[in-house]
Amino acid sequence: MALALVGAGACLAADDAPVRLRELVVAEPYIELHEGPGRGYAVTQVVPRGDTFQVLYRRTEWFRVRTRRGVEGWAHEREILKARLPDGSPFTIDLGNRAGFTSHRFELGASMGDYGGATLIGTYFAFLFNEQLQLELTGAQFLGNASNGYSAEVGLAHVYRPDWRLSPFLTLGGGVIRIEPKSTLVQPEDRTDQTAYAGAGVRFYLTRRFFLRGEYRHHMVFTSRNENEEINEWKLSFAFFF
Amino acid sequence: METVFRVLLLGAAALALPGCAWMLPGRGEDVAAQEEIVLSSDEEPTLVPPRVIEPEVERREVRVARIDAENIEVGAFYGALSIEDFGTGPVQGLTAAYHVTEDIFFEAAFGRSKAGRTSYETLGGNVQLLTPSERRFTYYSLSLGYNLLPGEVYIGRSLAMTSALYLMGGVGSTEFAGDQRFTLNFGAGYRLLPTDWLAVHIEVQDRVFQSDLLGRDKLTNNISAHLGLTVFF
Repeated sequence: MALALVGAGACLAADDAPVRLRELVVAEPYIELHEGPGRGYAVTQVVPRGDTFQVLYRRTEWFRVRTRRGVEGWAHEREILKARLPDGSPFTIDLGNRAGFTSHRFELGASMGDYGGATLIGTYFAFLFNEQLQLELTGAQFLGNASNGYSAEVGLAHVYRPDWRLSPFLTLGGGVIRIEPKSTLVQPEDRTDQTAYAGAGVRFYLTRRFFLRGEYRHHMVFTSRNENEEINEWKLSFAFFF
Repeated sequence: METVFRVLLLGAAALALPGCAWMLPGRGEDVAAQEEIVLSSDEEPTLVPPRVIEPEVERREVRVARIDAENIEVGAFYGALSIEDFGTGPVQGLTAAYHVTEDIFFEAAFGRSKAGRTSYETLGGNVQLLTPSERRFTYYSLSLGYNLLPGEVYIGRSLAMTSALYLMGGVGSTEFAGDQRFTLNFGAGYRLLPTDWLAVHIEVQDRVFQSDLLGRDKLTNNISAHLGLTVFF
Protein backbone atom coordinates (compact mmCIF):
# COMPACT_ATOMS: atom_id res chain seq x y z
CA MET A 1 0.00 0.00 0.00
CA ALA A 2 2.73 2.38 1.04
CA LEU A 3 4.66 1.43 -2.07
CA ALA A 4 1.62 2.12 -4.21
CA LEU A 5 1.17 5.52 -2.57
CA VAL A 6 4.80 6.38 -3.08
CA GLY A 7 4.52 5.23 -6.67
CA ALA A 8 1.39 7.30 -7.24
CA GLY A 9 3.07 10.31 -5.66
CA ALA A 10 6.05 9.86 -7.92
CA CYS A 11 3.73 9.63 -10.92
CA LEU A 12 2.02 12.89 -9.95
CA ALA A 13 5.35 14.55 -9.45
CA ALA A 14 6.43 13.26 -12.85
CA ASP A 15 3.30 14.77 -14.40
CA ASP A 16 4.21 18.23 -13.20
CA ALA A 17 7.81 17.99 -14.26
CA PRO A 18 8.71 19.37 -17.67
CA VAL A 19 10.64 16.20 -18.49
CA ARG A 20 8.82 12.91 -18.24
CA LEU A 21 10.08 9.42 -17.90
CA ARG A 22 9.78 7.17 -20.90
CA GLU A 23 6.45 5.37 -20.79
CA LEU A 24 5.80 2.14 -22.68
CA VAL A 25 2.85 -0.14 -23.27
CA VAL A 26 3.09 -3.92 -23.03
CA ALA A 27 2.30 -5.39 -26.45
CA GLU A 28 3.10 -9.02 -25.67
CA PRO A 29 0.93 -11.19 -23.36
CA TYR A 30 3.12 -10.01 -20.47
CA ILE A 31 6.55 -8.68 -19.44
CA GLU A 32 8.47 -10.30 -16.62
CA LEU A 33 10.02 -8.20 -13.88
CA HIS A 34 13.04 -9.67 -12.10
CA GLU A 35 14.25 -8.88 -8.64
CA GLY A 36 17.76 -7.93 -9.75
CA PRO A 37 19.55 -6.96 -12.96
CA GLY A 38 20.58 -10.50 -13.93
CA ARG A 39 19.19 -13.53 -15.68
CA GLY A 40 19.16 -15.62 -12.52
CA TYR A 41 17.13 -13.31 -10.31
CA ALA A 42 13.61 -14.47 -9.53
CA VAL A 43 10.64 -13.10 -11.46
CA THR A 44 8.50 -11.38 -8.88
CA GLN A 45 5.98 -9.50 -11.03
CA VAL A 46 4.49 -9.50 -14.49
CA VAL A 47 3.02 -6.57 -16.36
CA PRO A 48 0.03 -7.73 -18.45
CA ARG A 49 -0.68 -6.76 -22.06
CA GLY A 50 -2.06 -3.27 -22.46
CA ASP A 51 -0.62 -1.98 -19.19
CA THR A 52 1.76 0.94 -19.23
CA PHE A 53 5.00 1.16 -17.31
CA GLN A 54 7.74 3.74 -16.83
CA VAL A 55 11.40 3.16 -17.55
CA LEU A 56 13.48 4.62 -14.72
CA TYR A 57 17.03 3.79 -15.78
CA ARG A 58 19.14 1.12 -17.32
CA ARG A 59 22.08 -0.99 -16.17
CA THR A 60 23.87 -2.94 -18.89
CA GLU A 61 21.08 -4.86 -20.66
CA TRP A 62 18.56 -4.51 -17.82
CA PHE A 63 15.97 -1.77 -17.34
CA ARG A 64 14.57 -0.67 -14.01
CA VAL A 65 10.85 -0.13 -14.60
CA ARG A 66 7.89 0.98 -12.51
CA THR A 67 4.36 -0.25 -13.17
CA ARG A 68 1.21 1.81 -12.84
CA ARG A 69 0.69 0.32 -9.40
CA GLY A 70 4.10 1.60 -8.33
CA VAL A 71 5.82 -1.78 -8.29
CA GLU A 72 9.42 -1.68 -9.46
CA GLY A 73 11.54 -4.40 -11.02
CA TRP A 74 14.12 -5.20 -13.65
CA ALA A 75 13.15 -6.12 -17.22
CA HIS A 76 15.54 -7.44 -19.84
CA GLU A 77 16.12 -5.41 -23.00
CA ARG A 78 14.72 -8.31 -25.06
CA GLU A 79 11.38 -7.87 -23.31
CA ILE A 80 11.51 -4.09 -23.35
CA LEU A 81 11.99 -4.14 -27.12
CA LYS A 82 8.65 -5.91 -27.49
CA ALA A 83 6.85 -3.04 -25.76
CA ARG A 84 5.40 -0.16 -27.75
CA LEU A 85 5.36 3.58 -27.33
CA PRO A 86 1.97 5.01 -26.23
CA ASP A 87 1.22 6.01 -29.84
CA GLY A 88 1.68 2.40 -30.97
CA SER A 89 5.02 2.85 -32.70
CA PRO A 90 7.85 0.44 -31.86
CA PHE A 91 10.39 1.30 -29.18
CA THR A 92 14.01 1.09 -30.21
CA ILE A 93 17.21 1.17 -28.17
CA ASP A 94 20.88 0.94 -28.87
CA LEU A 95 21.79 -2.74 -28.65
CA GLY A 96 25.17 -4.35 -28.33
CA ASN A 97 25.16 -6.45 -31.50
CA ARG A 98 26.71 -6.59 -34.97
CA ALA A 99 24.59 -3.67 -36.19
CA GLY A 100 25.84 -1.66 -33.23
CA PHE A 101 29.39 -2.67 -34.06
CA THR A 102 28.98 -1.33 -37.59
CA SER A 103 27.54 1.96 -36.43
CA HIS A 104 28.24 3.35 -32.98
CA ARG A 105 29.40 6.58 -31.36
CA PHE A 106 32.19 5.75 -28.88
CA GLU A 107 34.83 3.12 -28.26
CA LEU A 108 36.94 2.44 -25.19
CA GLY A 109 39.67 -0.13 -24.89
CA ALA A 110 42.70 -1.36 -22.97
CA SER A 111 45.85 -2.34 -24.80
CA MET A 112 48.98 -4.33 -24.23
CA GLY A 113 51.94 -4.72 -26.49
CA ASP A 114 55.47 -3.83 -27.39
CA TYR A 115 56.81 -0.29 -27.72
CA GLY A 116 60.30 -0.31 -29.18
CA GLY A 117 61.26 -3.30 -27.02
CA ALA A 118 59.52 -2.08 -23.88
CA THR A 119 56.28 -3.49 -22.50
CA LEU A 120 53.35 -1.27 -23.31
CA ILE A 121 50.16 -0.77 -21.31
CA GLY A 122 47.63 1.65 -22.67
CA THR A 123 44.08 2.77 -23.17
CA TYR A 124 42.32 4.39 -26.04
CA PHE A 125 39.10 6.29 -26.50
CA ALA A 126 37.54 6.90 -29.88
CA PHE A 127 34.78 9.18 -31.08
CA LEU A 128 33.23 8.22 -34.40
CA PHE A 129 32.26 10.97 -36.81
CA ASN A 130 30.64 8.36 -39.00
CA GLU A 131 30.93 4.62 -39.53
CA GLN A 132 34.35 4.92 -41.13
CA LEU A 133 36.14 7.91 -39.66
CA GLN A 134 37.08 8.15 -36.01
CA LEU A 135 39.06 10.43 -33.74
CA GLU A 136 41.28 8.53 -31.34
CA LEU A 137 42.92 9.54 -28.08
CA THR A 138 45.60 7.17 -26.84
CA GLY A 139 47.43 7.17 -23.54
CA ALA A 140 50.13 4.64 -22.77
CA GLN A 141 52.92 3.78 -20.42
CA PHE A 142 55.91 1.73 -21.50
CA LEU A 143 58.25 -0.09 -19.16
CA GLY A 144 61.59 -1.22 -20.51
CA ASN A 145 64.97 -2.33 -19.30
CA ALA A 146 66.71 0.90 -20.33
CA SER A 147 63.95 3.41 -19.84
CA ASN A 148 60.35 3.95 -18.88
CA GLY A 149 57.98 6.54 -20.19
CA TYR A 150 54.58 7.77 -21.19
CA SER A 151 52.96 8.77 -24.43
CA ALA A 152 49.80 10.67 -25.27
CA GLU A 153 48.59 10.86 -28.83
CA VAL A 154 45.65 12.04 -30.86
CA GLY A 155 44.90 10.84 -34.35
CA LEU A 156 42.42 9.81 -36.97
CA ALA A 157 41.55 6.31 -38.04
CA HIS A 158 39.76 5.17 -41.14
CA VAL A 159 37.97 1.82 -41.06
CA TYR A 160 37.86 0.29 -44.51
CA ARG A 161 34.62 -1.73 -44.19
CA PRO A 162 32.83 -1.19 -40.86
CA ASP A 163 30.21 -3.81 -41.74
CA TRP A 164 32.78 -6.60 -41.96
CA ARG A 165 33.44 -8.69 -38.88
CA LEU A 166 37.17 -8.45 -39.57
CA SER A 167 38.07 -5.13 -41.08
CA PRO A 168 41.36 -3.33 -41.70
CA PHE A 169 41.94 0.28 -40.74
CA LEU A 170 44.58 2.97 -41.20
CA THR A 171 45.66 5.52 -38.59
CA LEU A 172 47.56 8.78 -38.62
CA GLY A 173 48.33 11.19 -35.82
CA GLY A 174 50.75 12.78 -33.42
CA GLY A 175 51.44 13.56 -29.82
CA VAL A 176 54.06 13.75 -27.13
CA ILE A 177 56.30 11.20 -25.54
CA ARG A 178 58.14 11.41 -22.23
CA ILE A 179 61.12 9.14 -21.80
CA GLU A 180 62.64 8.57 -18.39
CA PRO A 181 65.91 6.65 -18.74
CA LYS A 182 66.83 4.48 -15.79
CA SER A 183 69.23 6.23 -13.47
CA THR A 184 72.07 3.73 -13.91
CA LEU A 185 72.56 4.62 -17.58
CA VAL A 186 74.68 7.31 -19.18
CA GLN A 187 71.88 9.58 -20.33
CA PRO A 188 70.10 10.36 -17.11
CA GLU A 189 67.92 13.35 -17.96
CA ASP A 190 64.22 12.89 -18.72
CA ARG A 191 63.05 14.29 -21.99
CA THR A 192 59.75 15.14 -23.62
CA ASP A 193 59.52 15.10 -27.40
CA GLN A 194 56.89 15.40 -30.06
CA THR A 195 55.91 12.40 -32.10
CA ALA A 196 54.04 11.61 -35.27
CA TYR A 197 52.79 8.23 -36.31
CA ALA A 198 51.28 6.27 -39.15
CA GLY A 199 49.85 2.85 -38.67
CA ALA A 200 47.51 0.11 -39.70
CA GLY A 201 45.57 -2.63 -38.04
CA VAL A 202 42.55 -4.85 -38.02
CA ARG A 203 39.53 -4.93 -35.76
CA PHE A 204 37.55 -8.04 -35.10
CA TYR A 205 34.06 -8.26 -33.62
CA LEU A 206 33.84 -10.80 -30.79
CA THR A 207 30.35 -10.74 -29.30
CA ARG A 208 27.86 -8.36 -27.69
CA ARG A 209 29.71 -5.04 -27.34
CA PHE A 210 33.23 -6.42 -27.48
CA PHE A 211 35.87 -6.45 -30.17
CA LEU A 212 39.60 -6.92 -30.54
CA ARG A 213 41.96 -4.51 -32.24
CA GLY A 214 45.40 -5.48 -33.43
CA GLU A 215 47.51 -2.52 -34.45
CA TYR A 216 50.93 -1.49 -35.66
CA ARG A 217 52.16 2.09 -35.39
CA HIS A 218 55.38 3.49 -36.74
CA HIS A 219 56.42 6.48 -34.62
CA MET A 220 58.79 9.26 -35.54
CA VAL A 221 60.13 10.99 -32.43
CA PHE A 222 61.35 14.54 -33.12
CA THR A 223 64.22 14.74 -30.66
CA SER A 224 66.34 17.76 -29.84
CA ARG A 225 69.41 15.79 -30.92
CA ASN A 226 70.76 15.59 -34.45
CA GLU A 227 68.86 12.47 -35.34
CA ASN A 228 65.20 11.71 -35.03
CA GLU A 229 64.26 8.44 -33.45
CA GLU A 230 61.99 5.80 -34.91
CA ILE A 231 59.93 3.50 -32.71
CA ASN A 232 57.80 0.53 -33.72
CA GLU A 233 54.72 -0.19 -31.67
CA TRP A 234 52.70 -3.40 -31.79
CA LYS A 235 49.66 -3.80 -29.61
CA LEU A 236 46.49 -5.74 -29.05
CA SER A 237 43.47 -3.99 -27.58
CA PHE A 238 40.38 -5.39 -25.98
CA ALA A 239 37.65 -2.86 -26.51
CA PHE A 240 33.94 -2.23 -26.39
CA PHE A 241 31.63 0.23 -28.12
CA PHE A 242 28.73 2.23 -26.72
CA MET B 1 -53.68 33.90 -62.57
CA GLU B 2 -52.20 31.11 -60.59
CA THR B 3 -50.08 30.09 -63.60
CA VAL B 4 -48.71 33.64 -63.87
CA PHE B 5 -47.60 33.56 -60.19
CA ARG B 6 -45.97 30.17 -60.72
CA VAL B 7 -44.05 31.48 -63.72
CA LEU B 8 -42.92 34.54 -61.76
CA LEU B 9 -41.84 32.51 -58.74
CA LEU B 10 -39.99 29.99 -60.86
CA GLY B 11 -38.28 32.82 -62.72
CA ALA B 12 -37.24 34.44 -59.43
CA ALA B 13 -35.96 31.12 -58.13
CA ALA B 14 -33.97 30.49 -61.31
CA LEU B 15 -32.33 33.88 -60.95
CA ALA B 16 -31.61 33.50 -57.24
CA LEU B 17 -30.01 30.02 -57.40
CA PRO B 18 -26.82 30.95 -59.27
CA GLY B 19 -26.49 33.84 -56.84
CA CYS B 20 -26.67 31.46 -53.88
CA ALA B 21 -24.13 29.27 -55.56
CA TRP B 22 -21.84 32.27 -55.86
CA MET B 23 -22.27 32.98 -52.14
CA LEU B 24 -21.19 29.50 -51.12
CA PRO B 25 -17.51 29.06 -50.41
CA GLY B 26 -15.44 26.38 -52.06
CA ARG B 27 -15.36 25.28 -55.69
CA GLY B 28 -11.61 25.52 -55.72
CA GLU B 29 -11.63 29.13 -54.65
CA ASP B 30 -9.65 30.43 -51.72
CA VAL B 31 -11.78 29.98 -48.62
CA ALA B 32 -9.94 32.61 -46.66
CA ALA B 33 -10.48 35.14 -49.40
CA GLN B 34 -14.20 34.30 -49.39
CA GLU B 35 -14.41 34.86 -45.66
CA GLU B 36 -12.76 38.19 -46.03
CA ILE B 37 -15.28 39.27 -48.60
CA VAL B 38 -18.13 38.16 -46.37
CA LEU B 39 -16.71 39.90 -43.34
CA SER B 40 -16.11 43.13 -45.20
CA SER B 41 -19.67 43.39 -46.41
CA ASP B 42 -21.47 45.55 -43.89
CA GLU B 43 -24.78 45.46 -45.66
CA GLU B 44 -25.61 41.83 -44.98
CA PRO B 45 -24.14 40.89 -41.57
CA THR B 46 -26.60 37.99 -41.31
CA LEU B 47 -24.74 36.14 -44.06
CA VAL B 48 -21.58 35.71 -41.97
CA PRO B 49 -21.35 31.96 -41.13
CA PRO B 50 -21.26 31.17 -37.40
CA ARG B 51 -17.64 30.91 -36.32
CA VAL B 52 -16.40 27.70 -34.85
CA ILE B 53 -14.71 28.22 -31.49
CA GLU B 54 -10.98 28.33 -32.10
CA PRO B 55 -8.94 26.25 -29.64
CA GLU B 56 -6.88 28.66 -27.61
CA VAL B 57 -5.24 25.96 -25.47
CA GLU B 58 -1.52 25.82 -26.16
CA ARG B 59 -0.12 22.39 -26.87
CA ARG B 60 1.89 21.20 -23.90
CA GLU B 61 5.42 20.36 -24.84
CA VAL B 62 6.16 17.01 -23.27
CA ARG B 63 9.80 16.06 -23.37
CA VAL B 64 10.52 12.45 -22.72
CA ALA B 65 13.74 11.93 -20.83
CA ARG B 66 16.49 9.83 -22.30
CA ILE B 67 16.80 6.57 -20.45
CA ASP B 68 19.63 7.09 -18.02
CA ALA B 69 22.31 4.39 -18.34
CA GLU B 70 23.86 3.71 -14.95
CA ASN B 71 26.82 1.59 -15.98
CA ILE B 72 29.63 3.58 -14.39
CA GLU B 73 30.79 2.75 -10.90
CA VAL B 74 33.31 4.93 -9.06
CA GLY B 75 34.56 4.73 -5.54
CA ALA B 76 37.36 4.48 -3.04
CA PHE B 77 38.88 1.69 -0.99
CA TYR B 78 40.98 1.20 2.10
CA GLY B 79 42.74 -1.90 3.31
CA ALA B 80 46.04 -3.63 3.90
CA LEU B 81 48.78 -4.43 1.40
CA SER B 82 51.51 -6.92 2.04
CA ILE B 83 54.60 -5.83 0.08
CA GLU B 84 56.91 -8.81 -0.34
CA ASP B 85 59.93 -8.48 2.00
CA PHE B 86 58.70 -5.11 3.27
CA GLY B 87 55.90 -6.01 5.64
CA THR B 88 52.27 -5.01 5.58
CA GLY B 89 50.95 -1.48 5.50
CA PRO B 90 47.70 0.37 4.89
CA VAL B 91 46.64 0.92 1.28
CA GLN B 92 44.09 3.33 -0.10
CA GLY B 93 42.96 4.20 -3.57
CA LEU B 94 40.32 4.96 -6.14
CA THR B 95 38.50 2.81 -8.66
CA ALA B 96 36.38 3.46 -11.71
CA ALA B 97 34.53 0.71 -13.50
CA TYR B 98 32.33 0.42 -16.54
CA HIS B 99 29.83 -2.42 -16.67
CA VAL B 100 29.54 -3.52 -20.27
CA THR B 101 27.17 -6.46 -19.82
CA GLU B 102 25.61 -8.05 -16.77
CA ASP B 103 28.63 -10.36 -16.62
CA ILE B 104 31.63 -8.30 -17.69
CA PHE B 105 33.12 -5.04 -16.50
CA PHE B 106 36.29 -3.01 -16.99
CA GLU B 107 38.00 -1.48 -14.01
CA ALA B 108 40.74 1.07 -13.62
CA ALA B 109 42.29 1.27 -10.17
CA PHE B 110 44.85 3.50 -8.54
CA GLY B 111 46.34 2.75 -5.14
CA ARG B 112 49.01 3.93 -2.78
CA SER B 113 50.74 2.39 0.19
CA LYS B 114 53.99 2.70 2.10
CA ALA B 115 56.47 -0.09 2.59
CA GLY B 116 57.76 -0.96 6.02
CA ARG B 117 61.21 -2.27 6.90
CA THR B 118 62.70 -5.53 5.74
CA SER B 119 63.78 -8.01 8.39
CA TYR B 120 67.37 -7.27 7.36
CA GLU B 121 66.86 -3.58 8.20
CA THR B 122 65.17 -4.41 11.48
CA LEU B 123 67.93 -6.75 12.58
CA GLY B 124 70.77 -4.63 11.18
CA GLY B 125 69.99 -1.61 13.33
CA ASN B 126 70.78 1.51 11.34
CA VAL B 127 70.69 -0.03 7.86
CA GLN B 128 68.35 1.76 5.42
CA LEU B 129 67.77 0.07 2.08
CA LEU B 130 65.38 2.71 0.78
CA THR B 131 64.79 6.38 1.35
CA PRO B 132 61.36 7.40 2.69
CA SER B 133 60.22 8.54 -0.77
CA GLU B 134 61.38 5.27 -2.31
CA ARG B 135 59.25 3.37 0.18
CA ARG B 136 56.13 4.78 -1.39
CA PHE B 137 54.32 2.02 -3.27
CA THR B 138 52.06 3.43 -6.01
CA TYR B 139 50.23 1.36 -8.56
CA TYR B 140 47.57 1.50 -11.21
CA SER B 141 45.87 -1.30 -13.08
CA LEU B 142 43.46 -1.88 -15.92
CA SER B 143 41.44 -4.98 -15.29
CA LEU B 144 38.70 -7.05 -16.75
CA GLY B 145 36.17 -8.45 -14.32
CA TYR B 146 33.66 -11.26 -14.54
CA ASN B 147 30.64 -11.57 -12.25
CA LEU B 148 30.97 -15.25 -11.54
CA LEU B 149 28.33 -15.80 -8.88
CA PRO B 150 25.57 -13.21 -8.90
CA GLY B 151 23.14 -13.65 -6.06
CA GLU B 152 21.03 -12.15 -3.38
CA VAL B 153 21.52 -11.66 0.33
CA TYR B 154 18.71 -11.52 2.86
CA ILE B 155 19.05 -9.62 6.09
CA GLY B 156 16.11 -10.20 8.37
CA ARG B 157 12.65 -10.62 6.88
CA SER B 158 12.30 -7.46 4.87
CA LEU B 159 15.70 -6.60 3.43
CA ALA B 160 17.09 -8.21 0.29
CA MET B 161 20.26 -7.02 -1.43
CA THR B 162 21.72 -8.11 -4.73
CA SER B 163 25.32 -9.27 -4.64
CA ALA B 164 28.00 -10.84 -6.80
CA LEU B 165 31.22 -12.70 -6.38
CA TYR B 166 33.55 -11.60 -9.16
CA LEU B 167 36.92 -12.52 -10.54
CA MET B 168 39.26 -10.01 -12.08
CA GLY B 169 42.61 -9.79 -13.75
CA GLY B 170 44.60 -7.19 -15.58
CA VAL B 171 47.79 -5.34 -16.26
CA GLY B 172 49.30 -2.20 -14.86
CA SER B 173 52.35 -0.59 -13.43
CA THR B 174 53.86 -0.29 -9.97
CA GLU B 175 56.24 2.40 -8.83
CA PHE B 176 58.34 1.24 -5.93
CA ALA B 177 61.92 1.72 -4.75
CA GLY B 178 62.62 4.35 -7.38
CA ASP B 179 61.60 2.20 -10.32
CA GLN B 180 58.49 1.41 -12.30
CA ARG B 181 57.63 -2.16 -13.11
CA PHE B 182 55.14 -3.86 -15.34
CA THR B 183 52.63 -5.55 -13.05
CA LEU B 184 50.07 -8.29 -13.48
CA ASN B 185 47.15 -8.30 -11.10
CA PHE B 186 44.46 -10.85 -10.36
CA GLY B 187 42.00 -11.38 -7.60
CA ALA B 188 38.46 -11.87 -6.50
CA GLY B 189 35.90 -9.71 -4.82
CA TYR B 190 32.45 -9.63 -3.36
CA ARG B 191 30.07 -6.81 -4.22
CA LEU B 192 26.98 -6.10 -2.15
CA LEU B 193 24.40 -3.51 -3.19
CA PRO B 194 22.33 -2.08 -0.30
CA THR B 195 20.56 0.10 -2.90
CA ASP B 196 20.66 0.10 -6.68
CA TRP B 197 23.25 2.87 -6.75
CA LEU B 198 25.52 2.03 -3.81
CA ALA B 199 27.87 -0.93 -3.53
CA VAL B 200 30.17 -2.26 -0.85
CA HIS B 201 33.17 -4.28 -2.02
CA ILE B 202 35.44 -6.70 -0.25
CA GLU B 203 38.34 -7.53 -2.51
CA VAL B 204 41.56 -9.52 -2.43
CA GLN B 205 44.14 -8.98 -5.14
CA ASP B 206 47.64 -10.08 -5.90
CA ARG B 207 50.01 -7.78 -7.79
CA VAL B 208 52.94 -9.59 -9.31
CA PHE B 209 56.05 -7.94 -10.68
CA GLN B 210 59.69 -8.71 -11.29
CA SER B 211 62.07 -7.19 -8.78
CA ASP B 212 65.84 -7.33 -8.24
CA LEU B 213 65.77 -5.10 -5.21
CA LEU B 214 67.24 -7.64 -2.81
CA GLY B 215 70.06 -8.94 -4.95
CA ARG B 216 68.50 -11.46 -7.26
CA ASP B 217 65.75 -11.14 -9.84
CA LYS B 218 62.51 -12.64 -8.61
CA LEU B 219 58.77 -12.39 -9.00
CA THR B 220 57.26 -10.63 -6.04
CA ASN B 221 53.68 -11.20 -4.88
CA ASN B 222 52.03 -8.27 -3.20
CA ILE B 223 48.69 -9.24 -1.82
CA SER B 224 46.12 -6.71 -0.71
CA ALA B 225 42.76 -7.04 0.99
CA HIS B 226 40.53 -4.03 1.07
CA LEU B 227 37.07 -2.72 1.68
CA GLY B 228 35.59 -0.36 -0.90
CA LEU B 229 32.56 1.83 -1.33
CA THR B 230 31.35 2.67 -4.83
CA VAL B 231 28.52 4.59 -6.40
CA PHE B 232 26.76 3.75 -9.67
CA PHE B 233 25.71 6.56 -11.97
